[in-house]
Amino acid sequence: MDGLLMGKLAVHSLFVAALALAATVVRDAPAADLVVPHDPSALDATMLVSNACSKCHGATGVSISPLFPILAAQQAAYIDTELKLFRQRARSDPHARAFMWGIARGLTDDQIDGVAQYFSSQPPVRGTASRNPALAERGKALFENGVPAREVPACNICHGANAEGLGTFPRLAGQHRDYLVTQLQQFRGQLRESEIMQPIAKNITDDEIAAVAEYVASK
Amino acid sequence: MTRDHLEIRPRLAAVRLLRLASVATVAIGAAALALISTPAQAVPSFARQTGLACEACHTIPPELTPFGRRFRLNAYTLTTRPPLVSDIDDHKRNTVWLTDLPGMSILLQATYDHWNRPLPDSLVPGAKSQSDDFQFPQQMSIMYAGAISDHFGAWLQMTYLQNTGSLGIDNNDVRYSDHTANNDWVWGVTLNNNPSFQDVWNTGEAYGIPYFPVQSLYSATQPLGNTGMRAPIFTQFPGLAAGLGAYVWYKDSIYLELSEYHSAKSGSAIANEDSSNLNVGGGTIDNFAPYWRAAYERDWGYNSAMIGTSGMYVKFVPSVFAGQTLSPGNVNRYLDLSVDWQYQYNGQHNIFTFLGHYTHENQENDPGLVPTYFNNSTDHLNQLQVTGEYYYNHRYGGLVSFRRATGTTDVPFNGGTGSPANQFEVFELDYLPWYNAKLLLQYDLYNVVNNNQNPFFLLGATNPKASDNNTWVVGLWMDF
Repeated sequence: MDGLLMGKLAVHSLFVAALALAATVVRDAPAADLVVPHDPSALDATMLVSNACSKCHGATGVSISPLFPILAAQQAAYIDTELKLFRQRARSDPHARAFMWGIARGLTDDQIDGVAQYFSSQPPVRGTASRNPALAERGKALFENGVPAREVPACNICHGANAEGLGTFPRLAGQHRDYLVTQLQQFRGQLRESEIMQPIAKNITDDEIAAVAEYVASK
Repeated sequence: MTRDHLEIRPRLAAVRLLRLASVATVAIGAAALALISTPAQAVPSFARQTGLACEACHTIPPELTPFGRRFRLNAYTLTTRPPLVSDIDDHKRNTVWLTDLPGMSILLQATYDHWNRPLPDSLVPGAKSQSDDFQFPQQMSIMYAGAISDHFGAWLQMTYLQNTGSLGIDNNDVRYSDHTANNDWVWGVTLNNNPSFQDVWNTGEAYGIPYFPVQSLYSATQPLGNTGMRAPIFTQFPGLAAGLGAYVWYKDSIYLELSEYHSAKSGSAIANEDSSNLNVGGGTIDNFAPYWRAAYERDWGYNSAMIGTSGMYVKFVPSVFAGQTLSPGNVNRYLDLSVDWQYQYNGQHNIFTFLGHYTHENQENDPGLVPTYFNNSTDHLNQLQVTGEYYYNHRYGGLVSFRRATGTTDVPFNGGTGSPANQFEVFELDYLPWYNAKLLLQYDLYNVVNNNQNPFFLLGATNPKASDNNTWVVGLWMDF
């Protein structure tokens, strides 16, 4: 094969390639949003819930595993506050470190707000009936009266008469028992930061934690 | 090979050839097994994708926490990162979704191994044999592990092994998953190349102990890298079969899976042969082999417990002698039935794990291969493995693992005394300066080894014993 023919072939190949490329560009041109800029805000709250939150907390905020809290009907202000604490790495209980620091690391305020609104607007889950009514009854007394002798205030002062929460005070009703127990233990052990809950939990016993969790989870 | 052909062979010659074939099988099997069957490990590309810490998915890598199991069952897809490229067509159909970060990782293992007894000098005529190994790397893997799109993810691992000096395809698992709106049902499809690699508990073979097997530079000793002794057939197809399976995961507690495995029938390609130490020289799966799995898990507080069962039915075409043509008329039928269990306590400081499995294997030998190659029309193998682990602060700890196999005596099949029995223990101390690095000191103690699987016997060492294979291992494992 002589050089001229080779050259012609090369030019021809280039031309065909250019045509093909042009055709591709023209065909794809209308899809202006083909390339999404690398910006976490590109994921709206619904997509975030679908791609991340739902894997543990459920698509409607009803988690199955007690390792992860139920978020359905949770107070929006509470979710907002906690997600920002995770993002700042200011809440450092073991699960926060392992899971939520990473999840929250790139979230924008808008995304956090969207996620908070999404979960807070889901229907609440009804608690499961207690299998130990006596324990739940004891928990009810603690929830409503606290332990004045040890300066433990009643839970309902902040968390509401039906444990529905208010503002940055979280909804507790219907939450997983194991999750509630773990959180109270972590407040008591100073593993989870809270200026309010650490001093309260410091004075409660394992039995009292079990009782109050039993009552609240059944609501 | 036809039956007539088998019968005209004088018995003595057959036995001699069998012995030779055993050595060849062990060597070839070792090479293939070593090439393919390397331990599953933690993968930092998952952490890059999700932002989660290692301990979200692992108690101690590679063992999975309840969350790690969910992550895998959800096809490795969890992410808060937006797609780099996505497109939706006029019919609102998602036509492309590419992650912004390819899930690449490197896994590195270096090791120093010391055998209880030096290999006989006669191994290398006129030279003193070297019996300790110092390998850097013992193995190095490069892998894609993570989401491919919003419902689709993969674990694709290529591994270089120093004892074979080659790069090969290791464990592969590509899966698609979705869930119902209320998350009660997660369902998925997995395409993988190693029965039980897709499992999310660490009780099986492919994703189980030993996580750091000995891989000697001398391949004939490879079988005692505590994986190569006689074991149930479902463990014998790492990278040698392709399987398609479907699974459901209900309410984070009930797991059901059905898969089918197939290996290409081929008379010559070693890559398609079973590389096991089935002493008749390997073979292939005839048509499709079903594999099934059911498990129940319950999580409470820091605890997670699982009890499960699995099984595989394999019609197996033995190739009779390594390197010779298959005999399509001869089919052995294997039925493996296992029960397995796992308990994890993953507390603030302490991690306890107790796990194990028991497998019963029923093997019906083709009448055409009895009595020349199998003494019995039916053989059995029972394997028990029990492991206990303790770690403190994800930093210091160790494990003790016990494995024992027993079964019917079959001299032509198992060689030596005819017993398939083997028993060994693994003792391991670990120090993890970081979650993705492990320094370990391991001692493998062999109590029972059939001569025919004992390299010291095969190499003609005087008075070979199981304990000759006892091995000290100093290892480094890193993942980044």
